[in-house]
Amino acid sequence: MNVVLDALAFSNIIVLSSIGLTLTYITLKVPNFAHGDLVTIGAYTALAAARLLGITPYAAIPLAFIASGMAALASYYLVYRPLDRRGAGIVTLMIASMSTEVILRASLHIFADVMTTSTKSYWRGFLFREEGGQLTSYIVVSTITAILIIISLYLFLHRTKYGVALRAAVENPSLASAIGIDVDKARAVSWLIAGGLAGVAGVFMPFRTPTDPETGWALLLRMFAASVLGGLDAVFGAVIGGYVIGLSEVLGIYLLSGPPLNLSTAYRPAIPFAILVILLLIAPRGLSGVEWRRLLSRMSRGVVRSG
Amino acid sequence: MAELFSFLLGLAAFYSIYQMLALSLNLEYGYGGLPNFGKVMFFAGGAFVTGALLTRLVALSPGAPPDMVWDVSKFKIYNTLLATRGSGYLATNPLLALTLFALMLILGAGVGALLGILASYPAVRLREDYLGVTLIVSGELLRIVARNYEPLVCGTLGVSVPNLFAWAGTYSELIKVGSMVAVSTATVLLINIMVNSPYGRALRAMRDQEAAAASLGKDVVLLKIKTLAVGSAIAGAAGSMYAMYLGAVVADEFTPLKTFIVWLMVVMGGAGNNAGACLGALTYIGIDRALTLFKHLIPLPFDVNYLYYTVMGVALILLLMYRPEGILPERPGRLYATTEISSDSRGGQAAPH
Repeated sequence: MNVVLDALAFSNIIVLSSIGLTLTYITLKVPNFAHGDLVTIGAYTALAAARLLGITPYAAIPLAFIASGMAALASYYLVYRPLDRRGAGIVTLMIASMSTEVILRASLHIFADVMTTSTKSYWRGFLFREEGGQLTSYIVVSTITAILIIISLYLFLHRTKYGVALRAAVENPSLASAIGIDVDKARAVSWLIAGGLAGVAGVFMPFRTPTDPETGWALLLRMFAASVLGGLDAVFGAVIGGYVIGLSEVLGIYLLSGPPLNLSTAYRPAIPFAILVILLLIAPRGLSGVEWRRLLSRMSRGVVRSG
Repeated sequence: MAELFSFLLGLAAFYSIYQMLALSLNLEYGYGGLPNFGKVMFFAGGAFVTGALLTRLVALSPGAPPDMVWDVSKFKIYNTLLATRGSGYLATNPLLALTLFALMLILGAGVGALLGILASYPAVRLREDYLGVTLIVSGELLRIVARNYEPLVCGTLGVSVPNLFAWAGTYSELIKVGSMVAVSTATVLLINIMVNSPYGRALRAMRDQEAAAASLGKDVVLLKIKTLAVGSAIAGAAGSMYAMYLGAVVADEFTPLKTFIVWLMVVMGGAGNNAGACLGALTYIGIDRALTLFKHLIPLPFDVNYLYYTVMGVALILLLMYRPEGILPERPGRLYATTEISSDSRGGQAAPH
């Protein structure tokens, strides 16, 4: 039971962050390597709020949303938009994305070091400790937060005029701008939301594992696994992808580390990575890209023929 | 004086390793247009095979107790001792030491080439972004396996590698670095010959217009496989050299940051121009080594390397915006006269993509 709850909480974090990864991918068709560091920024915002303002990390969720959202917005305005306007190709954008990642991660290291020396307390490997039994409050809070965010994001993107315009602008910019939608602003809003969600995910991270400036980067490839599994062009595919990846990692290593295999639990990250590599080679467009109908008809035809 | 000398030796050693990495990426991306975002995987492959085999091979010659070599739990503890003893034994047998040096380079290149051929499977099938993610993830998978599967390089502890140049006595370091520079220079010559051959021209044709190259009868798929195999073999040999230079292999060193550094060198120096890639490598390594030397003199409340990474990241983004062709842009091939090119539409657009 403990394992299932832990898997659920871990999946919530992945779901919240990979929705944003998919959203930014749709806007510029570039994998945002810095998305993991936006999660770390959220975690550090919560830590700073808890230590300096003395509030609980949960109360810092809006702050984390703003901090990571602003970082994402800044990277859009300072890095991706200028390059996109210069007609940069996908590889150039990917190099820029890698650079942004290195800048953010190195800055977080500097921040952690400076805070450690100036406040005389540890800003690396920190945890938000909780007393209590198996069902600790963060599992409940992260699940409720994830559900609320998914529902409100769905309502926003599908039921409000602005949300529909936003989807139109990121999915088909030329058509959207032809009917008067401000594509650039819509992209900026997408980056803000994407960063913000990563920040919210970051608040829950230190409840689970010791967090340092490398935490988000380590999480990034799992987010990619979730996003690709759900289909990089489907925002809500990331929800399914996130839960599949999170559950399969935590439950998978629980099963593999027991008898008969007795594998070291340190192989944990290998599970989502292996899923991702296999997925990219077999069905790179994710679950939403598989033509289920054709697959089913082909299979049934095969059965008929063999029968 | 002695300090300056050892600084220059270290610079030459790291430069010769990164020159090979930068040139291999330049061959793949600069000339062939193949964005290899998993460079560290091939580098690690060469380092891991050297770490896994060299100490064991050397330990067997002077007759170390076989259980110390083959029993992983014992090898984990005694590998440093075995490496030191191995260095002592090799000090009396320079011929064997040099043979092992060459053998390890070949093995590293072989493992690199093998991984490169594996990587060409997604490379011919996936778009750049998916390919980038696949290669980064594959590199991380290799690192995770290496840090957990202890028989390879003793897991997180790392494995010691004997000094193959102990026979040279006080000149050991000088001759070691000299051999590395020689290997690296040979690679430069090899790559220069390759990119100016019909193969190199086909490679550039594939980069500029893949469909056109294919329509002229160039086997684009085979070209990609070959290029990734050659580029990765060079990276593998560089990894092997890295292990032999440092005298140790630690799995966790091989993170995607290394890939970023190699990309930085190539894009900064100028993709599609070998002199540019070398200049990029020299610039990065030069500053990096100087920072390591003067680190203790800089009064900062944090590690100055982080500041260096931040500055380099900003510099790379600015370069992509204002000078995407790099410091030394690609020059037209030897077969054209420059006048012919300048009137050509291709003249303005030098960087790939």
